[in-house]
Parts: sequence; structure tokens; C-alpha cells
Amino acid sequence: MPQRRIFGVMAMMAIAVPAWSAPAPEGPAALVPLGDTAGSSELRLPGTLTNPFEGQPAAVTEGRRLFTKMNCAGCHNYDGSGGMGPDLTDHYWRYGGTPVAVFKTLWEGRPQGMPAWSGALPPDELWKLVTFIQSLGGMYPAPDYYGQRQGDNPHDLVAPEVAAEDAASATPPAPKP
Amino acid sequence: MRWCAAAIRCSRSITIIALSTAAGVAQTPTPAAPFTPTGATANFAPNDPPGEWHRQAHDYANTRYSTLADITPDNVGQLRVAWTFSDGTQYGHEGAPLVVGDTMFLVTPFPNVAYALDLSKPGSPIKWSFAPDPTPMAIGKACCDAVIRGWAYANGKLIYNILDGHTVAVDANTGKEVWRIKMSNVATGATMTMPVMVVGNKLIAGNSGGEMGAHGWAAALDVDTGKELWRAYSTGPDDQVKIGADFKPFYSWMRGTNLGVTTWPDDAWRHGGGTVWGWVSYDPQLNLVYYGTANPSPRVPAQRPGLNLWTSAVFARDADTGMAKWAYQFTPHDQWDYDGVNENVLIDVPIGGRMRKALVQFNRNGFAYTIDRETGEVLVAQPFGYLNWASSVDMKTGQPVINPDKEPKPNVKFENICPTDIGVKDWEPSAFSPRTGLLYAATNNVCMDLIDHEVGFIAGTPYDGMEMKRHPGPGGNWGEFIAWDPVHGKKVWGIKEQFMTMSGVLATASDLVFYGTVDGWFRAVNARTGDILWSQKLGSGVLGAPMTYKGPDGRQYIAVASGVGGAAMVSAKEPGFPPRGNTLYVFSINGDSLASGPGMKATQAGAAAIIPEPANTIPR
Repeated sequence: MPQRRIFGVMAMMAIAVPAWSAPAPEGPAALVPLGDTAGSSELRLPGTLTNPFEGQPAAVTEGRRLFTKMNCAGCHNYDGSGGMGPDLTDHYWRYGGTPVAVFKTLWEGRPQGMPAWSGALPPDELWKLVTFIQSLGGMYPAPDYYGQRQGDNPHDLVAPEVAAEDAASATPPAPKP
Repeated sequence: MRWCAAAIRCSRSITIIALSTAAGVAQTPTPAAPFTPTGATANFAPNDPPGEWHRQAHDYANTRYSTLADITPDNVGQLRVAWTFSDGTQYGHEGAPLVVGDTMFLVTPFPNVAYALDLSKPGSPIKWSFAPDPTPMAIGKACCDAVIRGWAYANGKLIYNILDGHTVAVDANTGKEVWRIKMSNVATGATMTMPVMVVGNKLIAGNSGGEMGAHGWAAALDVDTGKELWRAYSTGPDDQVKIGADFKPFYSWMRGTNLGVTTWPDDAWRHGGGTVWGWVSYDPQLNLVYYGTANPSPRVPAQRPGLNLWTSAVFARDADTGMAKWAYQFTPHDQWDYDGVNENVLIDVPIGGRMRKALVQFNRNGFAYTIDRETGEVLVAQPFGYLNWASSVDMKTGQPVINPDKEPKPNVKFENICPTDIGVKDWEPSAFSPRTGLLYAATNNVCMDLIDHEVGFIAGTPYDGMEMKRHPGPGGNWGEFIAWDPVHGKKVWGIKEQFMTMSGVLATASDLVFYGTVDGWFRAVNARTGDILWSQKLGSGVLGAPMTYKGPDGRQYIAVASGVGGAAMVSAKEPGFPPRGNTLYVFSINGDSLASGPGMKATQAGAAAIIPEPANTIPR
């Protein structure tokens, strides 16, 4: 069942999976690390993947339904404001607040009691949950993936020296022969 | 009448005395017990040595009463901090420190580190520290903060439950683990937060996780080996609930076979809650242990028509076999999350012309029950704060008279149900003074707007369904500290608090009672008049239970933990709500201690602290 749907998601994202990587059930999100990346450009990784359902009202509605049905609301509250689990409406994200980071948290679970949903829901449903959580207003847009990991807020001023550094690292490294 | 000579407030007490007389109290309490205005007294034997504190409530009866009386209404105004101890953890601090000989024992909230502090040395340095290393998964499975409500000392061991569903015993002299037992599977949502209660050579433990659909139980373990001796579930067939021929509930509606199955739809009892996360009491003469059971799961009543036995109830069980003697369900088919786990204080009361062996429970549902602890008959049931879900308790059936306007239905918004889920009083334990015959309790005045959502059972996720907006009840005060007459079911006096009051209570033989507030005030009150005699603002909110001990220097100390958390976090958006904290405060008159006076005071510690995550890194 999930195979076709997964490849559908991958096609929608139009992200090339490196040849050395076997296709993972969660799609390219499998390549996004939880931590930062030692000794390598972060830009090689599909951290800025967008949510294929982003901004679709029907997906928000479906995500909201799943949020209640799958008992997410029991921990995070019906309005997402937190309870047993963290607040999903604020801008603090222990495991990342961009769409692919939240998707991965849903898929894999996290050590402090957040269960993995990969066995219970297909990727599309998890992306719709992400769409609903995005609608709460606390998440970061996909392009902020790297900046958010560095603690940046969208309205931050940036010192000129750091802006130059960021611009240099934003140039993708030349592909190896 | 000495009781009332001093204060105008006593007019209510005069009424009480008149009532006692009118009721024809034919028999005065036993000669050993002092006369009290209510006639209530308690059997304190056996209990902990007067200057020490070996179990959370100081005695089997759960009175939290100390005979120490060096700190008095006259000198309590000079109470000052003598020393403090910060443990570095950030969850609610809900227990009381223990003192055995010259050693104080503490256990932190998650990650449940244990400390022994040497009271015989200046500054009370660390003697040993012990880390059980629980799984962090437990943090997110615990409904109400990663707390522990207490620990116990027995047979040379410090014994406590770990949040992730294990029980551990540590050598009290060395801090080395003696035994450890897995009692539940945390991945299913069952955690452990209650303090074990030691009864002879056994300890009683129970689980938490009613919000996750855990199957509630209480169990007895051997103190020396950790071997499980019996386990009694709160729902299910009679053999699992340990109901047999000796089971004689007072009320007919609780008599029958396998009611823990037949009062539920289908197999709903398997995830029916009734966890045991509160306090255990023990009557050595009857050889009965008493404890309450928590809410039924899911919290949405529409999904579980029936009485839902034996949730939101109290059990009396034979301590040796675990077999139930009687039970009483406070809130049949609980629709509001009114757990029955609060402390049962064992006292003797003059009712109906004779002294009755009773237990008193301030239930979350807002009624304070005085119950015959031999039979389970309800003797008194009166509101001790504001409630509107029921009008009264029918004394013929023992059942509440429910207000149909406050019975929730799925997807319908109900406004202003009082109290909210955590009750007029939650787990925070009360105290009883045999000198006044009164109980003292930290209560709350919180109501809710409620929408129920039907839920499905998914292991490891909440099996809950209550969407709540909580707000203060009539008067606008979140909390109130009260003195309660358990014989006549009347509040004698109360101190309204702007913030919730969720601390334990200590009563002493000098007619002082101590309690704290969620915004961090720690107070000493005249037990007879309710006059506040002393207050100090601590670093964080006070959820801990105050206790008192006599140090190696002969001084009387008062100790209490400051560290907000737990269910108090429902009011965390209130202006003035304090930050988290983790400090034990120890007070004495003028702050005097072994470290007082001139001269260098060296720390002679036996071990270093254990630094909990996330700050457990070491600089390079």
C-alpha cells in the first residue's frame, strides 16, 4: 500500500535522492539528520523540503481531525498549546520547527515519550498533521531550516560579516566527479 | 472553652461545641487522648520517633502530626532559613524529606536521584548520592509533570518508585542499590509517582497512568528482597481485584460477582484506569491498608456506561493477603476526572453516641468524607469547598445526588463545572491535630469549561478526551487553606489565597500548622484561630510537604521543598506565577544551626551531586 504513495510524495518534492542511498519509506526526509552535520555542508541535505500539502485548507482540516483522533491532543492540548507534551504554537522547537523536521519527529518519535507514528499512519497523513501544526503559527517556513537550527528568527538583524559567511556557504559545493 | 477564649473567629467553634453536646456524645475519648472540641483523636502508635521522620506522613494513620513543640506561636515569628539544598531538577517537588538519626533523605523528581545529607556536619553536606537512570520516555508518559510524591525509610533502606515503572531499594548507609524490580511497562503509559508505604516487612506500591488507559493496581513487595507478595487490580474479575468471601461493602449496590467487569461495556475494564497514585494508610489493629483508586479511563463517560467499579473508590485490604475487606466508590461512573486517590487520614470520631474508627478523605469531587474504616459506612459527607456537579451525598445509599446540567456529553460545551478535574483538593496531603480535633488542608477553587471528545485506545498515547478551560471559582481566589471539623462536616476557618494551594500540611503539638502556596509563600498559622503568624516567600512555588525534626544539635527544624510543577501548572499563565525551582529550605529559630556562629565551616562531604540533564555537561 504505502509504496506508490511514498514515491508520489518524492516526485512531488522533486528532490534527487543520492544514488548511494536506498529509498527509505519516509522518502527524502530520511536523509535529514536530527543533529547538525559534522565535516560536511549542510546544504547537501534536503532540509528545506517543503510540505507537499502546505497551505491546503483540506489538509489542515484532515490534520486537525487526525490530531484529535490519534490522541495527539491528549498530550499537546486540543489547541496545540501543550500539556503533557510541548507547546506546538510557540517558536521553541526542541527537534526543529520546519516542516521536514516536524515530519521526522512524527515519523520517528522522540525520546521523551513522543511515539513514532510510522507504523500507524502513512506519510501523506503525517504531512497533513504537519499542515495542521503549521496552521497554528509557531512553525518556521522550510527555507529557514538552517537558520532555525542556528537560533535565527525571521526578523533578526544579521551582522554583515555573518551575512557574508552565510552567503558563501549557501553556494552548493561543486559536484564531485 | 479555652479553645475560644482568644479570638472572635471562634464563634463557629462555639457552635460546634454546642452541637457536640446536643448530639449527645455519650462517651469521652479514651483517657490517653486529650479532649478536643470535635472529640476526634487518632491512634498514633506505632509511628516514627518524635524527632525523626521515616515515612511521608510520619505515622500509619497519615496525620502528619509532630509532638515537637519548641517552635511555638510565640517564637515562630523568628523563624529564619538555617540552610538550603538545591538538587538541580526542574519538575514539581511534591515530597517531604525524611530524617533518620543524623541523616536526611531526599529523592528528586525525574531523574529520581536520591541524596543522603549528613545533618551532623555544618551545612549538611552530601553523604551519598544515587542515580537510578530512568528512561527519559517516562517524562512524556507522565500525565502531570515528572514528579514523585515521596519515599520511605525501612530496615536500613531508602525505598522509592522510579517514574519509569520500577521500584528500587538503596542501602541507607552506603547509597548502593539493594534490589530493584520492574513493576510496569512505561511504553504502555504506566508510570509510578506515589510514595511507597512500608507496613511491617512489606511495602505497598501502585501505578499512575489513568490518562493513558493504564490498568490500575496496588501491590505489596517484601522490603528486604523486593519480591512481589500480592497484586490487586482496580478493575476486572474478582480474582484480579482480590475480592473473595470476606469482601463486605456496606452498600448493596457494590455487592455482586465480578462487578469490576460487569459495570463496564465489553472489555473496557482492561484499559479502565483506577490507578493507585496517592497515599496508603494502615491500621495495625485491624491489619488493613487503605488506599484510593483514580479516575476511570477514558475520561469520556459516554464511552463507558456503568458504575465503572472499582475506580474513584477506596479499598480496605488485608495487609498480608491483599484481599479486599470493603470498598466504597465515591464517584460512581465518574464523569469529571474526580480520582479517589487522596490521603485517608485514620482518626477516631464520636458519632452516634460512640467512638467510631474512621477515615477521613477530602475527595477531589469536593466532598469530605468521614467513613467507618471497619465497615465502609459513610458517616459524614459534606462539601469542603465550592462544587456544583452534585448537591449532596444521599446518606442512605452513599451516592452523590448529581446535577444533570453538569453531566458532560461528547462534542457539547459545558460551562462552569466545579470543581475542575483536579478537584477541590488534589493529592496534596492534609494534616490532623489531636489537640484541636481538626484536619487542615490546602484546597483549590478552580472550575472548568468542558468539551468531551470521544477517543480510541492507542497504547502509549493519552486515553483521555477532556478539553478543558480552567478558571477560578466564585470569589476569584484560586486557593484556600482550611481547618475542617470531621465530626460535623464543617469548615471551621479558611484562609483564601490568590494562587492555588497545593502543598502538604504539617501540624505540631504547639498548635502550629504549616503550608505553602503555588506562588511561593510558606506560612505558619495558629491551628486554633487560623491567624497567619509568619510567612516567607521562597524561590519557587511550594508543592512539597513540610516536615519537622530535631537535629543532632537538639534544635527543632522545619523543612519544606520549593519547586513548582505538577497540576499547579494549570494556573501557570496567571501573572505572578513563579519559575520552576528545586530548593529544600530548612528553617530554625533565628536561622541557628551547626553552621551558626564565628569560625570557618568546612564541608566534609562523602559524595558529589549528580547533575541531571540537560545541564550535565562538563567544561573542557
